[in-house]
Amino acid sequence: MSAILFAMLRMTAPLILAATGGIISQQAGMINVALEGLMLIGAFAGVLIAYYAQSAWVGALAAVATGALFAGLLALAVLGLRANLIVAGLALNLLVLGLTRYLLQILFATRGAFAPERLPGLGTLEIPALQGFPILGDIILGHSPLVYFSWILALLSAFFLNHTPEGLRLRAVGENEEAARSLGVPVNRVRALALVASGCLAGLAGVQLSLGNLQLFFENMTNGRGFIALAAIYFGQARPALTLLACLLFGLFEAIQIRLQTRVGIPPQWPQMLPFILVILVLAGVSMHRRARRMFF
Amino acid sequence: MIRAMAFRNLQEVARFVITLGVALILGAIIIQLSGREASAAYRALFESALGSRLALADSLAVSTPLILTGLATAVAFRTGVFNVGVEGSLYMGAFAAAWVGFTWPNTPSGLLIPAAILAGGLAGSLWGLIPGTLKAWLDVDEIVTTIMMNYIAVSFTSYLVNYPFAVPGLANAMSPMVPSSIHLPRLLPPSQLHAGFILALLCALGVGVLFSRTTWGFEFNLQGSNPIFARWAGVRSPRVILTAMGLSGFLGGLAGAFQILGVHYRFIANFSPGYGYDGIAIALLGRTTAFGTLVGALLFGALRNGASGLELFAGIPLELVRILEAVIILMVTAEATIRLKGKKIPISVEREG
Repeated sequence: MSAILFAMLRMTAPLILAATGGIISQQAGMINVALEGLMLIGAFAGVLIAYYAQSAWVGALAAVATGALFAGLLALAVLGLRANLIVAGLALNLLVLGLTRYLLQILFATRGAFAPERLPGLGTLEIPALQGFPILGDIILGHSPLVYFSWILALLSAFFLNHTPEGLRLRAVGENEEAARSLGVPVNRVRALALVASGCLAGLAGVQLSLGNLQLFFENMTNGRGFIALAAIYFGQARPALTLLACLLFGLFEAIQIRLQTRVGIPPQWPQMLPFILVILVLAGVSMHRRARRMFF
Repeated sequence: MIRAMAFRNLQEVARFVITLGVALILGAIIIQLSGREASAAYRALFESALGSRLALADSLAVSTPLILTGLATAVAFRTGVFNVGVEGSLYMGAFAAAWVGFTWPNTPSGLLIPAAILAGGLAGSLWGLIPGTLKAWLDVDEIVTTIMMNYIAVSFTSYLVNYPFAVPGLANAMSPMVPSSIHLPRLLPPSQLHAGFILALLCALGVGVLFSRTTWGFEFNLQGSNPIFARWAGVRSPRVILTAMGLSGFLGGLAGAFQILGVHYRFIANFSPGYGYDGIAIALLGRTTAFGTLVGALLFGALRNGASGLELFAGIPLELVRILEAVIILMVTAEATIRLKGKKIPISVEREG
């Protein structure tokens, strides 16, 4: 049991990081369907730079920067050249998938995976104060630093969105563009910054996959996690606390899929599908609720 | 009037050529940066895409599913429904067609082939109607639901061939083979070009007629360009949305069915390299017209098929073509804007002017 909860925290971290980024852009009125691609390029850049620099942390920084760069490209296309947000986002996913495969072959002459021997990982963060707690210790200790960081970041982003003037401005842009503009908020700049921020966090989420959970890169290694993060955002209606809960739930599904598949014989496809089915049900339920309210009041 | 139309067509052609040109130039830069010769690479690409009868036939074979997913997307986008879920319909259609085939192997082919194709279309249609119903009746955002439905379809069909329809002794997740009586005839062996291509062309013709000559097409356009006006003009938007999603899903399902009956002869988990997503690019490239979509699909088919030569003869990873496609999509969508759902979401679906 504690092994499953341990795995849940591990699998949840990339989801939390990506979803937190997604919330920021969603609250600014920009659905980020490119989370998947931004995570993947982050995972790739992290491994690449960590390998050359022989430092996982330099790799993580590079991943954040690369995520920001690609999200900046998306912002340029959407806000500068008025490309459609969804189409451009999906195109970015395609671009990253192709680019990472291409570079794997050009740089390392391999297909599929890149797992060099001397690839530094993020390692684990020791928390001496918690050592010795029987069950809790087994679950909470021994994770990569990014796992703890993801929680701190989720809390920080909730505070930022709800309790700071900048957060309020960002939400105003998403809620009512015209009103925000008439109050002098630079709408496009806020949106661009929100997208770039989501790119940074998605890049970090990718690094947690490629240097935290594992120490390698393989093609399409995000495997839909960007969209699971998107599902979590819709599940939580872009609110940080609910989204965090959804990430935990979806992380649990993934942990179950990995741990129980062989022992209990649950087909792995069911926990894979569940986040997406749940989010559709939630969306339908929310909409029905809204309708019912409109009818009575 | 005629001159204005000719001018617009010329503009369209110019736009098409410029988009392709920029993508190819960017590709050349990438190739040179990778330390390879761009001219040799493009010659290899061209040779294996269009250089011989066989190459040409294979390009047409590759474009077959793309024509259908492009049309499927075009039908939805016309109506202002942002259906990103053609990939899901394709998977469901592919499985349904395979299922009909391997479940009734001894039925005469005159009955079995139409039944399998129809089953594929209907399965895709039903799959599209789920988010369609949610949008039409409950106003649930179709962008999110259709993306989610894609992932559900991929996992669900993978489950089907791994558990209930698993073939004992096969390591890979595949359904049993369909009987050879159900295979769509090959048009130019040894190329993979099959009769599904002709049917896809007929679908393009049908969608073209639908768009320009029928009440349905008129209602699609009206709903897509101005939903509020459409309602005042007596168009019942839930019905139009459902019709468009049903038809879009049907075409997506056909794309899957033809891949099974014409190429793979069995359902294989995760078999699609993203035909449904390519359809989005192709429909936008073709400005959601039937003819434009057809041209876009043929272009993408040639690029895809040429990519193998790129790798084989010029030592360039065929993923280069994926990068080019992404660039083409970005350029196509960066052009124009329309109002979708009253919100100012830029989407390059309608012709400007």
